[in-house]
Amino acid sequence: MNDFSDIESKLRKLRPVQPSADLMTRLERALAEETATPTAGVLPRERRFHFNWLSLGLGLAAATALVLFAFLRLEGPVQKRSSLAAITPAPAFSTNSNAQFVPAGLTQVVYRTRDEGLHFPNNSGQPMRRVRSHTSETLRWRNPTTGASLRISYPSEEVSLVPVTGQ
Amino acid sequence: MENVATDENWKTCFSQLAPGLLLFARQWARSSADAEDIVQEAFVRFWRKQHDIANRGLLYATVRSIALDFLRRDSRRARRESTAVSETDQMVQPMFEVEDESQRALVAALDLLPNEQREVLVMKIWNELTFAEIASALEISQNTAASRYRYALAALKKNLPSV
Repeated sequence: MNDFSDIESKLRKLRPVQPSADLMTRLERALAEETATPTAGVLPRERRFHFNWLSLGLGLAAATALVLFAFLRLEGPVQKRSSLAAITPAPAFSTNSNAQFVPAGLTQVVYRTRDEGLHFPNNSGQPMRRVRSHTSETLRWRNPTTGASLRISYPSEEVSLVPVTGQ
Repeated sequence: MENVATDENWKTCFSQLAPGLLLFARQWARSSADAEDIVQEAFVRFWRKQHDIANRGLLYATVRSIALDFLRRDSRRARRESTAVSETDQMVQPMFEVEDESQRALVAALDLLPNEQREVLVMKIWNELTFAEIASALEISQNTAASRYRYALAALKKNLPSV
């Protein structure tokens, strides 16, 4: 590079022309504005016009995509509705209720008892008194997190044989 | 160097860079007014994107991109370019404040350089960019940038026997 030191020195002595006085003013105004970049009017404005076409094209493409998407969504639920109706109740009821409810108690109410006399079951010689009881049993579950309770009541009939002891 | 976007005294930054930027833009512009418009648009774009002013490779790449875009989109200028560029770039000239005949001869020799050599020379001599920055701005390798620089100096030396 030493071979070129002389010519490099001469080149550095050449001074580029200074910018015009109003360039700083125009630049200051352009920096202050948010959208427009004013120039001396020499730059071709066709560029912005082209950019608008590009934006318009992109906008139309986006709008078309949105319309297609909305159309597909309107068509879709008709097919899905039957399958959803068939499968949603079972897991929603069984999994949630059974998994979270815990047994809270059992109540057995005997509302009628009837003595049906002496019997000799299986031809045995030992007499036994047969007593028939009508009860109502209530099972209760409770969800500790939500406080909800579930109660199931059903009637029951119980027959008991009581040995008769001599007195 | 500070970031342009946070530098309140951006005028100082621009004043230091403007002559070299204008000279760089003049390679594609037919007049100083065109070059000023290119530099203004490039600087505003660079400033608004809050690029680091120390990233001179990106700044000059922005100027170059806008200048080439300016040439491509103006059909009238493109037509002139198709004829003028082929005529050894007589219309595309750097602009200097010539003081004597030796400098005038030097400017005339500069005008004879191929575009790719002259733009490297302008970035190196009057904008003091490193070869790495020049390579970044022109999207070429550093070796290519250095080679173009040497070829430009050799061509100038050949065309100026007194040097």
